[in-house]
Amino acid sequence: MATIEDLKRYGADTDVAVSRLMGNEDFYLRLIPKVFDDRSFDLLYESIDNRDLTKAFEAAHSLKGVLGNLELTPLLKPVIEITELLRSKQDADYSVYIEEIKKQKDILEKIFDR
Amino acid sequence: MENTVVTFVEEGKRTILVADDEYINREILNEMLKDDYNILKAEDGEQAYEIIKSKSTTISLILLDLIMPRMGGLELLSTIKNQSELASIPVIVLTTDQESEVISLNTGASDFIPKPYPQPDVVKARIKRAIELSEERQIISDTQNDTMTGLFTGEYFYGYSEVFDKYHPDVQMDAIVLGINNFQVVHERYGKHKCIKILHFIAVEIRKQYPDNECILCHKDVDLFFIYCHHCNDHENKLQAIADAVDLVYSGVRLEMGIYACVDKNIDISKRFVRARLAYDKLQGNFRNETAYFDDEILNKILFEERLCDDFATAIKDKQFKVFFQPKFDVTGDEPQIAGAEALVRWFHPELNLISPGKFIPLFENNGLIYKLDDYIWKCTAAQIKEWKDKYHKIVPVSVNISRVEMYDPNLSNRLTKIVEECGIDITDLHLEITESAYVSDSNMIIERVEDLRKKGFYIEMDDFGAGYSSLNMIGELPIDALKLDMLFLRNAFNKRNMKIIDIVLEIARCLEVPAIAEGVETEEQYLKLKESGCSMIQGYYFSKPIPCEEFEKYIQ
Repeated sequence: MATIEDLKRYGADTDVAVSRLMGNEDFYLRLIPKVFDDRSFDLLYESIDNRDLTKAFEAAHSLKGVLGNLELTPLLKPVIEITELLRSKQDADYSVYIEEIKKQKDILEKIFDR
Repeated sequence: MENTVVTFVEEGKRTILVADDEYINREILNEMLKDDYNILKAEDGEQAYEIIKSKSTTISLILLDLIMPRMGGLELLSTIKNQSELASIPVIVLTTDQESEVISLNTGASDFIPKPYPQPDVVKARIKRAIELSEERQIISDTQNDTMTGLFTGEYFYGYSEVFDKYHPDVQMDAIVLGINNFQVVHERYGKHKCIKILHFIAVEIRKQYPDNECILCHKDVDLFFIYCHHCNDHENKLQAIADAVDLVYSGVRLEMGIYACVDKNIDISKRFVRARLAYDKLQGNFRNETAYFDDEILNKILFEERLCDDFATAIKDKQFKVFFQPKFDVTGDEPQIAGAEALVRWFHPELNLISPGKFIPLFENNGLIYKLDDYIWKCTAAQIKEWKDKYHKIVPVSVNISRVEMYDPNLSNRLTKIVEECGIDITDLHLEITESAYVSDSNMIIERVEDLRKKGFYIEMDDFGAGYSSLNMIGELPIDALKLDMLFLRNAFNKRNMKIIDIVLEIARCLEVPAIAEGVETEEQYLKLKESGCSMIQGYYFSKPIPCEEFEKYIQ
């Protein structure tokens, strides 16, 4: 069972996130696993593969909002970076960011025994 | 009128719709706000739109994500802001980037909240403020707009008109009063509910002819519309177009228009509409759709009347009002005998010369100055009776007129009694002429009041009898001491050689066992006929016109 301390060690800014949830830590811990099922991750990966940068931007943009609200900084950081690249529709190498996102998501999932 | 703001509150909480496709975002806002608000949630734009449409009267605020499947936030925002019944719901946009903020505000959003969300107290404060502003605007809108027609109500109308003038000082403007001819009849015919529909319909048609960008419109006093617009010369055509449209749906509804063209902006806005209204009033009773303009004739009448009101206090102080006496003769014997007089007021204005009572009595009855004038006349009359009593040791009863508006003064009896006591005459010396029409309006109250005066000892003459108001059924119960026949009634009877009608009226006086007094008697023929038919007293030019007291004294001697 994940704890606030686990998330702090992961690098999440739990103080800000929990106060956003009116101090409800349990709710915070229950909310995070919902990220793992977020369709936007798959949508982002697929769109990048298909070079549909508009769709990819929308997916990254959505993730940025959600992860920002949960203050999951290590996962949020590559999402922000890829969002900004996609906003200007640069024909860049997005794989570095995708790798990092997948990596950070894995670490987080492990904390939640997923 | 329903208070639209009240409907927002359900079980003490207002309702907020959170529209965001991200489950986590919705849940975070729900957690933040659930203690203070009822939260509705939508997962995409279309779902949000359905909820907004079905609950538009209960949703206080929408929190809207911009990027959503099936209908994006901006598209939804633009859709609801373009529908009048939804446009008043405030929307706060939830956005991750600054670029969208300006677009959102320009599309009609009240505010934005960035993602990640700020601390709850910040989010709550922005939500609270957006709702407050919107509700205040709604309350103002409910107050300033008439619910029946959607047009401005009076005070706001004047306010907006003044603002319009301020920004367009050089634009020539017309003030217009548009109304329904004989609204009472229309009301009787169609009923209240339909009348509201008619008024609404007229408002819509007025708006077509007088569009918002150059006109300010108002619904006033049930059946009137005020229009403040750029000057033009085709108001007649506009009225006709409105009237034609109305006539297609509601036949028999006729419209009239009073116009004060090219208004004088130096006079108060409400006075400009008084002028339009005066033009409108000239049309009353016509049976065509018609327009009338405020002109010099009306203006001069107003200025003349204003002058009279302004000069009134000085006139009382300087004794410009003079009481004249028209003798009444007892004609029951072989020779006519002086039996009294009627006191009649004349105004000797230092600049306007002699002003006829017909010009100032109705005016003073309308504005209340009549009370002061009557007090003045009654006192002068009572003092004159006293003077003659002392000088000639003779009682000459004099009647004074009690105007209809005086009958509504509960203090009337005290005022008259006080004057009689102060002047030292008997209460029976001052006769009171109360017009027949006073008995008919609100008759029970008036009858009680007259009875009270009579109990105190005043002699009551019913004035203008025959002018056609009282029913024979009522007349037997009226508290009166004499019947005074209406001047026009007598003149008509003589002109048409209808002598029988004179006999009938005099017979009524006999039945009531009161003397009949004929006024306005001008010829010997009239005098002889009235005397022969049993009229007790005669007043009129045949014997004497109204004369000053010095002249009247020769009759007493």
